[in-house]
Amino acid sequence: MRVLIVEDDRVVGDAVHGAFVREGYAADHVESAERAKAVLQAEHYDLAVVDIGLPREDGLQLLRDLRRRGRHLPVLMLTARDGLSDRVNALDLGADDYLTKPFQVRELLARCRALVRRAHGTASAQVTCGALQLDLAHREASRDGVPLKLTHREWSILECLALNAGRIVSKDKLMSATLSFSDEITPNAVEVYVSRLRSKLGDAAAIRVIRGLGYRLDEHKN
Amino acid sequence: MSTKTDSALSIRRRLLLWLAIPATLILLAGTASDYFWGIDPVRGAYDRALADGALSIAAHVHASPDSRIRVRLPDEAIEVLRSNSSDSIYFRVSAPDGSFLAGDPDLPHPPPGASNPSFHDSMFRGHPIRLASYRSTTRLGTVTTVVAETLNKRRQIHDQLLSGALSVDLLELAAILALLWLGIGLALKPLQALREQLARRSARALDPIDATGVPAEVSTLVTELNRLFATLTDSRSAQRQFLQSAAHQLRTPLTGMQAQLELLISEEPTPARRERLAYALSATQRLSHTTQQLLALARSEHTTAMDADFRAVDLAEVAEASVADHVSRAAAAGIDLGAELAPAVTEGIAWLLKEAVNNLVDNALTYTPSGGVVTVRTGLRDGAAFLEVLDTGVGIPAEERAQVTDRFYRGRQSRGTGSGLGLAIVGDVARLHDAVLSIESGADGQGTCVRLEFL
Repeated sequence: MRVLIVEDDRVVGDAVHGAFVREGYAADHVESAERAKAVLQAEHYDLAVVDIGLPREDGLQLLRDLRRRGRHLPVLMLTARDGLSDRVNALDLGADDYLTKPFQVRELLARCRALVRRAHGTASAQVTCGALQLDLAHREASRDGVPLKLTHREWSILECLALNAGRIVSKDKLMSATLSFSDEITPNAVEVYVSRLRSKLGDAAAIRVIRGLGYRLDEHKN
Repeated sequence: MSTKTDSALSIRRRLLLWLAIPATLILLAGTASDYFWGIDPVRGAYDRALADGALSIAAHVHASPDSRIRVRLPDEAIEVLRSNSSDSIYFRVSAPDGSFLAGDPDLPHPPPGASNPSFHDSMFRGHPIRLASYRSTTRLGTVTTVVAETLNKRRQIHDQLLSGALSVDLLELAAILALLWLGIGLALKPLQALREQLARRSARALDPIDATGVPAEVSTLVTELNRLFATLTDSRSAQRQFLQSAAHQLRTPLTGMQAQLELLISEEPTPARRERLAYALSATQRLSHTTQQLLALARSEHTTAMDADFRAVDLAEVAEASVADHVSRAAAAGIDLGAELAPAVTEGIAWLLKEAVNNLVDNALTYTPSGGVVTVRTGLRDGAAFLEVLDTGVGIPAEERAQVTDRFYRGRQSRGTGSGLGLAIVGDVARLHDAVLSIESGADGQGTCVRLEFL
């Protein structure tokens, strides 16, 4: 897994770089949009972390340029500015996620993992979430290499949660994910499947219930 | 939204008053003069007819050969005299010595006038009369013939003249008042338009007032207002620019420090040093938090928010994002954090509203013990969007509720590393959005319910 960090502040850039390296990523740090373009031409990256407030050409321009060239690598934008206008702008331009400074490195890493997971899931049909592995092609889940026995519906729910790991998934969305031609599923049934799924997952990953909003799959139990 | 400005008389009323009173007086004077000018020729005509009567009677006065004056009035002559009249006609012929010759002996005898015939007003048998007296010269002296009539037909014609003049003038007055009303309305239209333009503006709007078609009398006022707006806009932009730069200059090194410390902690093998680094990290995080709050506080001031920042915001989305951000912390603290969200769209600055909700949820989690419940609710109540955060925590004593929105205020039960700015931010954001912030006890008097109602 290779990450490009585009950040003009050396202290921030170095720390983010160090954190990625510690996580086992291959990470490169450049300090300008111009350098970023040059290395992106030459190398393959799985993810880019781009600061919006770069000198000369800013991060939004770099993002626009990337997308115009048809580069689809996941991009997470960083900004030190207030407000949502940057955010809206960045997401409109094709950013995949967004963090406001000051952020916690843990949060940045979790978000990046989620981005890579989604991108990787669609590309290779493999999703990893903590100790949990999902083989989307064969509809099989395993924990540390040990297969989990799941029913069709449990699998559908887990797949939906894992592809959106770290994000809240509404009960409605889970219901439509488990919908089959033969029968309908009630909101209560979703709760039943989720609780069964929880006991099967053990401490491999946590399915949190967020009352009134839905469910969220987290990598590690706190 | 109309503003009551009736404390002083409106310009429309002033104009109407000061134009209508003189117009009415002038018309009344006109009516009077019409009447008197109309009366004169009528009176002359009737007088002439009366004089003609006197003349025709005088024609029958003869000085007889026996030196006596005789009046031989044929009955037809009298008939003619008295005919076609709604008035009673009287006459008297007097000899040169004033003695009665013919007619009504008791008819007053007017003094001779300068002209011949001469006319007088008098009373006869209890009625006012008009007299024409004609002096004719005979061989035996001057004979005076007096013809008198009551005033009925004169009065009738007076009444007709008066009512005619009055009704025409009243119609004129009505027309003039209507035209005044219309004209004043038209003349004041630019002022009305200006007033409506001002009423439509939001209190935050600082764009210049459109001065096209504004009358010269108020254009100075508009120009001055626009200049004031421009000055305010400039100072706001400067303030925002400053805050934007300050935010950048503060956040970037804080991020660097925090990230470096996090990295150091994860790499540090010695527990004692790891603990020290953790202290440094926690202090840095506190500094970050306070910085973030001070910046939010500064940006939620009326003086820096611009009208253009306000967009339609669904509080449900803001609340959902805030809850999502706090799920891990709530789970770690053993608190059931949930939401009951219904669409609640209001005009607002989304990121400041998020900041406010974050602070409310943050407070609720801080002051709710493990096993407690925190719920964020949004929806419409009587058509107004609301957002509330309920917790089953320690609650805020009633006597402290008024102060908790003061900056840097920390209650007696304060805990954690709060800066005392959280509720101040909520208060400021509420004010900026014309929202009402209320703090009450939760259900069954336990915990706290903080509510924002957007009016």
